[in-house]
Amino acid sequence: MADILFIGLSLSSILLLIALGLSITYGAMGVINMAHGELVMIGAYTAVLAGIYLNLNLFLSLPLAFATSAALGLLIERLVIRRLYGRIIDTLLATWGVAILLQQAIRLEFGLSFFDIHIQGLGTGLQNISVPAFLTQPFDFAGMTIQPYRSFIILVTLLLTLLTWFLFYRTRIGMQVRAIMRNPQIAAACGIDVRRVSALTFAYGSGLAGVAGVLLAGFKTVQPDMGTSVVVDGFLVVVVGGVGSLIGTIFASLLLGQINGIIAVLSNDILARAVVFGVVIVLIMWRPKGLFSFRGR
Amino acid sequence: MQSGRFDSVGVDVVAYGAFILAILLLPLFLDDPFWLNRIAKYLVYGMLGVAIALSWGYAGILNLGQGLFFGMGAYMVAMSLKLQSSTSLQQGSDSPVPDFMLWNAQPGAPTELCCISPSSFLWLPFQAQWFGAVMALVVPVVIALALSSAIFRLRVSGVYVAIITLASVLLVRLLIVDAQPLTNGFNGLTDLGWLTVAGFEFDPYLTQTYYIVAVSLSLVLVLTRVLVGTRAGLILQSTRDDPNRARYLGFDVAAYQIFFFTVSAGIAGFAGMLYVIAAEFASPSFMDLAFSITMVVWAAVGGRSSLLGACIGAILINTIEATASESEMFQEAWRAIIGLIFILVVLFLPRGLAGVGQDLTARLIGMARRPSAAPDRQASRDAAE
Amino acid sequence: MSTNNALTIDGLTVNFDGFKAVDGFSTVIEDGELRVVLGPNGAGKTTMMDLISGKTKASAGSVRLYGRDITSRAEHKIARAGIGRKFQIPSIFRDLTVRENFEVAVTRTPGVLSNLRMGLRASERKQVQHIVDLTQLGDVLEKRAGDLSHGQMQWLELGMLIGQESRVILLDEPTAGMTQAETLKTSRIINALKGSHTLLVVEHDMAFVREIAEKITVMHLGKMLAEGKIEQIEKDPAVQDAYLGSGGIH
Repeated sequence: MADILFIGLSLSSILLLIALGLSITYGAMGVINMAHGELVMIGAYTAVLAGIYLNLNLFLSLPLAFATSAALGLLIERLVIRRLYGRIIDTLLATWGVAILLQQAIRLEFGLSFFDIHIQGLGTGLQNISVPAFLTQPFDFAGMTIQPYRSFIILVTLLLTLLTWFLFYRTRIGMQVRAIMRNPQIAAACGIDVRRVSALTFAYGSGLAGVAGVLLAGFKTVQPDMGTSVVVDGFLVVVVGGVGSLIGTIFASLLLGQINGIIAVLSNDILARAVVFGVVIVLIMWRPKGLFSFRGR
Repeated sequence: MQSGRFDSVGVDVVAYGAFILAILLLPLFLDDPFWLNRIAKYLVYGMLGVAIALSWGYAGILNLGQGLFFGMGAYMVAMSLKLQSSTSLQQGSDSPVPDFMLWNAQPGAPTELCCISPSSFLWLPFQAQWFGAVMALVVPVVIALALSSAIFRLRVSGVYVAIITLASVLLVRLLIVDAQPLTNGFNGLTDLGWLTVAGFEFDPYLTQTYYIVAVSLSLVLVLTRVLVGTRAGLILQSTRDDPNRARYLGFDVAAYQIFFFTVSAGIAGFAGMLYVIAAEFASPSFMDLAFSITMVVWAAVGGRSSLLGACIGAILINTIEATASESEMFQEAWRAIIGLIFILVVLFLPRGLAGVGQDLTARLIGMARRPSAAPDRQASRDAAE
Repeated sequence: MSTNNALTIDGLTVNFDGFKAVDGFSTVIEDGELRVVLGPNGAGKTTMMDLISGKTKASAGSVRLYGRDITSRAEHKIARAGIGRKFQIPSIFRDLTVRENFEVAVTRTPGVLSNLRMGLRASERKQVQHIVDLTQLGDVLEKRAGDLSHGQMQWLELGMLIGQESRVILLDEPTAGMTQAETLKTSRIINALKGSHTLLVVEHDMAFVREIAEKITVMHLGKMLAEGKIEQIEKDPAVQDAYLGSGGIH
């Protein structure tokens, strides 16, 4: 029984990892960022390249990936999203276009492949990063066999969630973000630099995506389209959880992760995911704004 | 600022007529059966463009899961054609049994369609080819009716509708993949027989098969254009613009949304059927999310509010991608270019390339008129009334 | 219950989580009457209209249209029963042309299947011409409605309501944002509607109200505060109290 719960918890933590960044941008700015999955992918590739060229291990890749994805997020916000505030469907579509561009950029090795210059680690091939040995050996604890890497992911997710909660509710800039979430015009009237704060928020959410990418790279193959499946799961969690609600995102990832885990054990993985989608459809029909929404933007 | 929309029936007749003429006359200029078959597939994509434009441009409903209806239509016909194929008839029984069912069967199971696996009896009626063809329209329509009734009666709107359609196509895709004994799972249905009508077999590389697709597309284009030109089509557009105002004028907005969403799904299902006839396979990849969103990209670039624009957009984008297939790199580069164009269209050109075309035509016609005409008056609407 | 009364509102109440925006509101509006509803901000005037037109479901009370109970029915059914509504911010079809807006409004058959036809019936064509003449929007018929000026949009919406042939028309601040000249034209249109239509008008512009009003209802805190001709209302001490600090209604 505990095994099943642990699997569910593990799945939930991966969902939450992805959804955390999405939730921030969705809640703070009403933006559905379909390129979020690609930011995850870029984080993963950052780890791969850092391993090849800079000899960085998993842990050191984490902040590097955060920085890379955050920087890319800033760029996307500046060039594309800034022009589309308030147009939620258009941001969904435009960021999908950005996702296509980013995927192709990796496939084409930023266009250098046209000149027969090949960057090792990019292209259409599959990549892997090496996980430190102490994280790969399962160990026993309280009668259960624990997968250390999965536990590590749960731990990191927990830390990041706490960090995000802290930033949101205990810092000045977090308060500014929450003010913008409730009423951007009044926030601006109070002297908050809405543009700068929104951009930083988006960058932070993107950075989290990068971190997620590094962790995923530890157990999934890194390929250009690894982002697509991930972004759908992530943003379904965010929508079910509710606009702008951190609690909602956490709750939804727990809920959907556990459902996935339980059904996967009872029958199979594929059916489990199908059931999760079914549950999501019903929940959105019942409560489109999410389980924990508040009257924000 | 440009005043008045450019929407003359006269211009449409010319444009649609030219396009239909072009696709019907194509075989005279294109000898290569391999390319003709390819174009036939792109014409099917054009039909998908029409379906998206109807739902998104006219009804204001963004369907990110149109692949669901396309895929269901494809599978229905594929089931019938599978049973007709020679590989199904060699399995040691008098009636056909699909090869994959034999591979998946429990040892000792009877090699009969009714009983080789617990759910195989569902295939029985597909032994009649017309059944598959009819189901290819009926099943998507029924699913669309059910789904849209729930969505629109519950007044779900905007982006949440898009998200539900997205989740729906993913859900059905998973179910199809999971039902391995019934659908052959990931591998899809291959090794199909040819469509046979009155003894004539429609080899996908024959010109006649191309004409099935081309004529179907022409019919769909014309009928859909007529449909949106009716009073109901106008009211539909009003529900897109301001659903509350439409309600306060006495219109049951949900009924309109359900009707046109379902028509759009039916068109997609029909397209699925045609695709199988031309491509000889049906696969869960038809219900990949990326494919459904790609359809939206075609329609956006071509012009979401123009049936013909979306159609041509789909055909052009794919044709160019095909001609760029010299090297895989160029294909990837083309996809990147389309991604960029898509972003630009969403940001700056909501009416797509058709919109650009309309503006140019309006200007040309405006210049041809004498300047004494009031600038607000566009091409006459008398033809419609 | 007289079926000659256009609207009979009885004890209408709506409860938003404890807050009663409309609290036991009752009044009778006769056929062909023009009733103006006044009240300070937050009095519940717009909510009352939302309740009548079906946008909001009532918690208690009833609304009868010529004797027929329409309380909490679906908006489009109430509209079909004969109630039209004009909004403060013009609610029109911005991407359609002015002509198309009128064509939609005069459509008498609401069902999808019954509208699978082209063109207008002769009666509908006449209706369109009638409202084009009334609103004097003939010059901009082919213009995109979203490109009209604010005043033109208001007349377009009014025209659509007339085309809808509602027996009862709810007008929510019809002159909001208009110039004096535009207000004058609006009052002419509204006066032309008197008699053949029943009008319920929420307004703030007192000069305009004097132009058109017969009987006035004053709302306050969701209830009916006073009813009568304008001279009576102005002198009513309860009304003066409600408009605290403004020295009564100007």
